[in-house]
Amino acid sequence: MTAGSLSCENIQVSFGGLKAVNGVSYDFKPGLLYGLIGPNGAGKTTLMNALSGHAVLSGGRVRLDGQDITNLSVHRRTRKGLGRSFQITKIFAGMSVLENLQIAAFAHRHRVQPFWLPASRFAAVREQAEQVLEEVELSALAHRPAEYLSHGDQRALEVGLSLLSEPSVLLLDEPLAGVGHDQLEKAIGLISRIVKGRTVLLIEHNMDVVMQVSDEIVVMVQGQLLASGSPDDIRGNAEVRAAYLGEEA
Amino acid sequence: MTRRTVGQTLMAVIIAAMIAIPFFLPGEQWVNLVSLILIWALFAIGFDLVFGVTGMLSFGHAALLGSGGYALTVLTLSYQVGFLPALLAAAVMGALLAFCMGLFALRVSGLFFALLTLALAQMVYILASNKLRALTGGVDGIPGVPRPDLFGINFYDNRNYYAFIVVVFLIGLAVMALLRASPFGRALRAVQANDTRASQLGHNVHALRQSAFVVSGAYAGISGGLLASLMFYISPQMLHWATSGDVMIMTVLGGKGTLLGPILGVAVFELLKEELSQVTQYWYGILGLIFILATIFLRNGIAGLFHGPDDQDQGGAS
Repeated sequence: MTAGSLSCENIQVSFGGLKAVNGVSYDFKPGLLYGLIGPNGAGKTTLMNALSGHAVLSGGRVRLDGQDITNLSVHRRTRKGLGRSFQITKIFAGMSVLENLQIAAFAHRHRVQPFWLPASRFAAVREQAEQVLEEVELSALAHRPAEYLSHGDQRALEVGLSLLSEPSVLLLDEPLAGVGHDQLEKAIGLISRIVKGRTVLLIEHNMDVVMQVSDEIVVMVQGQLLASGSPDDIRGNAEVRAAYLGEEA
Repeated sequence: MTRRTVGQTLMAVIIAAMIAIPFFLPGEQWVNLVSLILIWALFAIGFDLVFGVTGMLSFGHAALLGSGGYALTVLTLSYQVGFLPALLAAAVMGALLAFCMGLFALRVSGLFFALLTLALAQMVYILASNKLRALTGGVDGIPGVPRPDLFGINFYDNRNYYAFIVVVFLIGLAVMALLRASPFGRALRAVQANDTRASQLGHNVHALRQSAFVVSGAYAGISGGLLASLMFYISPQMLHWATSGDVMIMTVLGGKGTLLGPILGVAVFELLKEELSQVTQYWYGILGLIFILATIFLRNGIAGLFHGPDDQDQGGAS
C-alpha cells in the first residue's frame, strides 16, 4: 500500500448563514499523521465530512493524489482509497462482528455484489475480514452481535471497518471518544499500528495523545485554519493557546 | 441445534404440510385456499426483500402486482403469447415498473418514500381504471384470463394448476433464499442497519436499493400473473392501495426480515379472512384488531414465536 496525498483548496461549507468551514486550504502529504485540533464547533468534523463526501461544499475543491474528487459520491471516494471512521459509532447492529467486517470486505472486493452464491462461500473475503479482526484484537468476539460489544470494542470495530477498503488516506474522527482509561493504551496502540504506510487525518481531543502520535498538527478555529506545524511548534504557539484558553493573543 | 434452527425447521415443516394438504384432501376448497396463499406468499417474500431486508416501506407494491397481472392477461388474450413467456413478461413488467418508480421514489427516504410509492401506484391505478381503458377494460376489468398450456396437461383443473403454482412458488422461494444469503442480501441488510456506513465502506447504496426494488417488482409481477390466471379475471382492484396495505400487514404479521415468516403471515391472514368472512361482514375490522394486537404483543411476528426474541434471521438459507 502506498500512502496517498490529499489536498484541500479553499473549502467552504455553509449551514444556512453559518459558515462551518470557511476557506480551508491545506496539503496533506503522503505518509504523515496529521492531528486536527480545535475547540468545539471549530468545524473539524465538518471539514472531514467535506473530504469524505458527507457534506455538500458551497465552494472549493478536494483532490486525492492530484485527482479532483469534489463531485464524487461517498462510495466512489472510498473505492479510490479514502477511508473514514466516525465520531458516533456506525456499525451494523443485528450482525456479528465478523459479519460486519465481511460486509466491508465484500464492498471492497466486489463492485457488483454477487447474488448467485451464499456469502459463506467466499473464502478470500472471510480471510481478509479475519485478518482485520486480528489487527483490531477482536478475534475472541468474532461471533458476538456487534451491538453487544463494550464501547471500547465498538470503537475498535469502527476503526477496523474503515481498514477493509485498504485506504491510502484515512480520516479518523475521534477514534478514542468515550474510551475508558483502562482501554486507552490498547486503543492508542491500535491506532499507531494501523496508521503505518498511510496518510492519516486524526481528530482527537486528548491533547497528550495527539501530541504523542502526530507528525504535524493542524489547528482550526471558527471554520478556518489558525496554525499548523510540528507538535512542539504548536505547543509554543501563543495564538493557539489563546484560542483554547480564551485569552487575547 | 439452537432454538433458531429448531424454530426454522418447525416453520418449514408447517409450510410443507400446508402445501401438501390439498394433494391429499378431497374437495376444491383447500386447493383454492392454498393456491391463493402461495401466490400471495410469493408476493410477500418479494415485498419483504424491500421492506424487511433493505428497510424501505413501499406502499406501491399493488401497482407492481397489478402490472404483472395485466401484462400476462393482455399478452395472452390480445397477442396470443404463450403462458410461460407471458409469465416471464409479467416479471419483466413488474421489474420495469419498479425501476421507473424507484427512479423517483429512491430520491427520498423513510416516510417520503412510502408516500411517493403510494402516489405513483395510485397513478397506475387511475391509468388502468380510466385512461388506458382500451387496453385494460377500465373498472370492469378483463375476464377470461387463461391458464397455462403445457405438456398437454389440463390446467383448468384447479388441482393441476395448484401443482403449477407450487412449482413456481418453490423456485421463487429457493431463489429468494439464495439472494438473502448472498453477499447482495448481506449488503441490503447493511443498508438497512446503517446506510451511511454502508456507503462509506464502498457500497453503492442507491444501486443496492434500486436492485432490491427491481427484484421485488419481478416477484410481484409473477404473483400478479398467477393471481389473474387463478381467478380467470383481472380488474383495477388488484392495483388498489389496499392491496399494498394487505401485503404489508401479512408481512408484519408473519415477521418482517425473515424468509419464512411472511409465508405464515399470508396463511394466517387468508385463513382468518376465509373463516371470518363466513361469519360476519365485519371480518376486515376483526383482522385489523388482530393485526394491532400482533404488533403490540408479537414484535417479531409469527416467526418471532418460533425464533425466540432475537430479531430476524441472518439471511441463512432456511
